[in-house]
Amino acid sequence: MTIKMAGVWKTFGEGHTAVHALRDIDLTGPQGEFTVILGPSGSGKTTLLNLVGAIDDATEGYIEAAGVDLAELDIDETVRYRRENVGFVFQFFNLIPTLTALENVELVADLTAANGAERAAEVLERVGLGDRMNHFPAQLSGGEQQRVAIARALVKQPPILLCDEPTGELDFETGRMILDLLRRVSRELKQTVLLVTHNAAIGDMADRVLKLRSGEIVDDLRNDHPVAATELTW
Amino acid sequence: MVKPLHRKLLRDIRRHRPQFIAITITIFLGVTIFGASYDSFQNLQASYDTTATEYHFANLTVVGGDSDAIEAAVGEVPGVEFAETRATADVPFRLDDTKLLGRAVGLPTDSQPDVNQVEVLTGEYLSSSDPSGVLVEEHMADHFALQPGDRFEIMSGTEWEAVTVRGVVASPEYIWPARDRQEIITTPDNFGVVFTPETLALELAGGTPNEVVIYYNDGAENEDISVGLTEDARALGATSVFTREEQPSNAALSEDLKGFEEMALFFPIMFLTAAGMAAYVMISRLVHSQRPNIGVFIANGFTRRQVLRHYLGYGLIPGLIGSLPGAIVGVLLARSITRLYTDLLAIPVTVVEFYPATLLGAVAFGLVASLLAALAPALVASRVPPAAAMRGETPAGRGRTSLVERLVPPLRKAPAAWKMVLRGVGRNPRRTVYTIIGVVLSLMLVLVSWGMIDTIQNLMDRQFVEIQQEDATVYFTEPASTSDVAELLNIEGVASAEPALTVPISIGANGEHYETALLVLEDQTEMHGLLSVTEGWIDLPDQGVVLGQATQSLLNISVGDSVELTLADGATVTDTVAAFVDEPLGTMAYISRSEAEALTGTQLPATSALIAYSDGVDSAALRNTITELPQVAAFEDANVLYDMVQQYMVLFYAFVGIMLLFGGAMAFALIFNSMSVNIAERTREVATLLAVGTDRRSISKYITAENMLVAAMGIPIGLVVGYFAAKSAMNSFSSDLFAMDLYIKPTTYLWASLAIILVALVSQWPGLRAIRRISIPEIVKERSA
Repeated sequence: MTIKMAGVWKTFGEGHTAVHALRDIDLTGPQGEFTVILGPSGSGKTTLLNLVGAIDDATEGYIEAAGVDLAELDIDETVRYRRENVGFVFQFFNLIPTLTALENVELVADLTAANGAERAAEVLERVGLGDRMNHFPAQLSGGEQQRVAIARALVKQPPILLCDEPTGELDFETGRMILDLLRRVSRELKQTVLLVTHNAAIGDMADRVLKLRSGEIVDDLRNDHPVAATELTW
Repeated sequence: MVKPLHRKLLRDIRRHRPQFIAITITIFLGVTIFGASYDSFQNLQASYDTTATEYHFANLTVVGGDSDAIEAAVGEVPGVEFAETRATADVPFRLDDTKLLGRAVGLPTDSQPDVNQVEVLTGEYLSSSDPSGVLVEEHMADHFALQPGDRFEIMSGTEWEAVTVRGVVASPEYIWPARDRQEIITTPDNFGVVFTPETLALELAGGTPNEVVIYYNDGAENEDISVGLTEDARALGATSVFTREEQPSNAALSEDLKGFEEMALFFPIMFLTAAGMAAYVMISRLVHSQRPNIGVFIANGFTRRQVLRHYLGYGLIPGLIGSLPGAIVGVLLARSITRLYTDLLAIPVTVVEFYPATLLGAVAFGLVASLLAALAPALVASRVPPAAAMRGETPAGRGRTSLVERLVPPLRKAPAAWKMVLRGVGRNPRRTVYTIIGVVLSLMLVLVSWGMIDTIQNLMDRQFVEIQQEDATVYFTEPASTSDVAELLNIEGVASAEPALTVPISIGANGEHYETALLVLEDQTEMHGLLSVTEGWIDLPDQGVVLGQATQSLLNISVGDSVELTLADGATVTDTVAAFVDEPLGTMAYISRSEAEALTGTQLPATSALIAYSDGVDSAALRNTITELPQVAAFEDANVLYDMVQQYMVLFYAFVGIMLLFGGAMAFALIFNSMSVNIAERTREVATLLAVGTDRRSISKYITAENMLVAAMGIPIGLVVGYFAAKSAMNSFSSDLFAMDLYIKPTTYLWASLAIILVALVSQWPGLRAIRRISIPEIVKERSA
């Protein structure tokens, strides 16, 4: 099991102003499973992702990912956990504007391997940016920037890939292309993927769909016949 | 503007409190320095002017010639209110064990003179019923603790004559006790002034008055009258004529005053420029981050003018908060500085006034600087396209290979993290330039003030170690022969002794005159080093006269030209200029004894002996032994003068300390703001790096490296600019009295650079601390951080 959550609560604020972003979440995510998390704004989707990615702490409960109890990690161990186990893809790409596509990926590759540049180039080839790798973010389209972001997340070959609204800033065609890429590559690397979106149609490509509302899992659906991302419509 | 916008303005400022406080403090410092130094300058100028008017300080002093005829001639000239003769004599004084070469100045008894009156501080003015009663100038009185009723002796001819102190006085002629323009720095053990009844002064001066002092109507300076009277006086045999401006004490004080005036502009401009740039960097960042809000304002009907006014407010508020109290504190400080200064120098009249123009000017200075800084970003804000701004489409960050990577191609293979550092420098070129300018300004401030210390230290060493190589000068009561000088060698502790003859002369060439002293030295002198302007250290030439370099431009002469040397008795000889020498103090003339004797056709005596001590000598004991000799009028230990100057250096160290503090504060304000903005702009990148597994230490290291790189880029420029600024500042203090050739020790450059690096490191510390507080989930989810 790559991800395991039991009785997880996340509360912001205290007393009367306390807001429960997540309430008593129990979840398991087997290796290689592609899970889409759906829900309206404020349902706790991103919070759940952040807890698995160890960029936020749970208020209560147990979280285990890649065999690690996240509550037990000190600061340095948390950094190491993220470095070795987690890849992030954000809605707004968050690329470093002064580095080229290759260098953005290399920057992360250097964290875990000596031959960072080589590996970064390989991954960029894989996401179809072989001929654009020496371009700066400002010279790339939104879709291309997101592909660089995906390459950055994949270059470490992390067992867990966390995607927060990866198509939110993209047009329909580009969005489908990015989803296809994510599905394809994560399958090749046997990665556990948690993909947060408010777009219900994307659930059709997932192995599993979780629906959140007001911090609770209200639906946990298995999809035995996921469709290819290229066939999605919304 | 509507009220909620006011609230937004205040809350924004509160949110960026440290940055705005830094800007406000820099404005405060700049405005305070302006108020304090400019009002001090005005007060001191007024104090000198009032002293000059109240005590009828001579507009023109004529020395030599037929004084009675000169007085009669100038008295008739329109514009001359008073002209009177007087006798002045440089004679030895004996006070217990101390002998010094003092000055006796004759005054009428029972009533003050019309020109150059004195302020009686204690005791009584001169009386005809007390012919041996004298007035002692306060510097001498303070040093020897002389009070009314005390007695000491003055050498009259070859006899010591006892006098009684009737009073202690201050004189506009001796606010700074200088013997003459060539001897601006004296010690109380070597020079003192006594005002005697005219009859006694006449007796000391040889029986006839030798000076005419002239006061113009209301004491107002009038160059035309001065030029005319100078010509008349020279025609009647005057050997030296000097204006109030050239009068030794006044000239020395004017140099000081000039310093205040220059400080009043130079330093505030630097501070306000730094504050302006810090404000610009800060407000630009605010406008950039608030583009969506600005879009909303405009879309909802705010006029562009309202938006402009709103963002100008970010400059107006620190400008007001910094400059209003700054102006008040500056003006109040000026009062204390003026009083401290006039007390220290014992200026008879202290004028402390309120100058509304300074107050208004200081506030205006601060406001203009801060508003100008806010103007550019405010204009940008007012021109924001609302639709694009509301979509959050901020201009894309620029990405390109850095210049250094292009120049040094192997750097392109550096790890991506270090390329990020290199490219970060050029990411916002304007901000980088402003940070560099901040470093440059700070180094300028440091080098100008520190350079002053190094220069003075170097000049003192050159003057008292390399040029004046004698350990002491022994003055004789009457002209001595070379064999009299040789007798000094019999005294234990005297290793060598050379005769020297000092005579006041007027050097004439091309219709111009320069009054100075001619020092006749032994042909192979070992007591005086001569540093030629063109040839370095030279021996005293066998032929021709050696002149101080200031005469080159004053008399428009070159090496090989002929000059006329006019002695006090009017005798004139012509000689050739053999060389010009670079000497820090004064502008003297030098000639070899054989050349001087050839020119005059006589064997010349010695007025003094230049002596060198034997190793390990007790200089105080030697001084006592030599002073006891009857033929010795005074003993001047070169080390005492040197030590006195070293004591004055303590004041300079305090000044430099304050300037270093201010320079540090200024550098901190600008670098701190630039670096805070730099880090704030990277928040999203930092959060992303943290999310992908980079540790905070590494991120701090990259940011520190980038910031230090920018600071380091400013250092060489700052050192060069600082050098030239210091050179210009020193040149402005140079005259025929002081030759302030800039000298900065290599270690000073090093320490100044290290200080700036240290300030830069400290400046970024708050920003680095902020990295620790970054909330990754919040930042990575934001559209624009």
